[in-house]
Amino acid sequence: MEDDDRCSSSNPGGIGQEEEDEDGKVLRFLDSLDSYLTLLDALSSTLRQGWFELASARHSMGSSRISSVLLDQKVQSAATTFQVRKSIDGSPSESHPSFAISKWASSRNGKCSFRELEVSRVQKTSKNSELRHRGSSNFYDTTEEHDLTINASSTISDSDVQKERSKSLSVFGTLVSPKLRGAQVSFETALDAIVEIANIRSSMLSAFTQLQQEMKKDLG
Amino acid sequence: MAGRTQIPTKNSALIAMIADEDTVTGFLLAGVGNVDLRRKTNYLIVDSKTTVKAIEDAFKEFTAREDIAVVLISQYIASMIRFLVDSYNKPVPAILEIPSKDHPYDPAHDSVLSRVRYLFSAESVASGRR
Repeated sequence: MEDDDRCSSSNPGGIGQEEEDEDGKVLRFLDSLDSYLTLLDALSSTLRQGWFELASARHSMGSSRISSVLLDQKVQSAATTFQVRKSIDGSPSESHPSFAISKWASSRNGKCSFRELEVSRVQKTSKNSELRHRGSSNFYDTTEEHDLTINASSTISDSDVQKERSKSLSVFGTLVSPKLRGAQVSFETALDAIVEIANIRSSMLSAFTQLQQEMKKDLG
Repeated sequence: MAGRTQIPTKNSALIAMIADEDTVTGFLLAGVGNVDLRRKTNYLIVDSKTTVKAIEDAFKEFTAREDIAVVLISQYIASMIRFLVDSYNKPVPAILEIPSKDHPYDPAHDSVLSRVRYLFSAESVASGRR
């Protein structure tokens, strides 16, 4: 205790700063843990909606028309893909992956265009952690949507997206139930949630690692 | 752990799925299905006839592939290969446990939350106080 007093009197700013950094890390970890659970809850609701719509479509179209047997085994590339980048929080040694999604990317005519959803709060390299706003659980409040284009002429159009969606639906026949289209939208929404969950998970594990290192330092 | 491992940058990476038929069908509708030239898919549909060995092999294959960014696995399926899932510690591909129709999400069984639960255990608090 006396040593602490002497230390604090000789270097009050340093220890205060250290405690603040540690508190910041704890807050960052707890915030990302809370976000992770909230997003999983939102994902569960979205998936439930999707399963319900799929069941409704199966009811109206028939079980044989919506079955895994119909899934295309022809060589095909995924229309919706992910990008992985390195994200740095604080020190350069503590990097973790960040994920983004490219939905319905059309590369048939040589043009490549995509839309990215980024969780701006997760990728910020802020030193001061802030308490998350405890409002609605709508995770879209924390996302920023960027439209990125490779060149001026390659903007994604709604008609391109609709073509890709129709191609995906055509596995189940030419005329499909509106419920199947609804299920498609629900699962697309679920993919957005999955990207956010992947980023939050990455951030949470990074914060956890930093906290473990702090604890080892304190004990050692 | 996360800082020391090399994090590969990937463009046009895939999402792999190990889940029941409805979940896989739904995500395939969203455009994530991929079949390569060797007829290898990025998904495994698990039903009552799927063996644990097949699930293990699919998990090992998907986590070893360089073109996969995220592996989605239904939590009840992850519980069948819990040892394998819990011992996985690479940053990419990320393993996400998701609920299924008949098995809602249980945070107590999530491998990521199990890993960080240590921070809230009595042992960690006691060791911090010493």
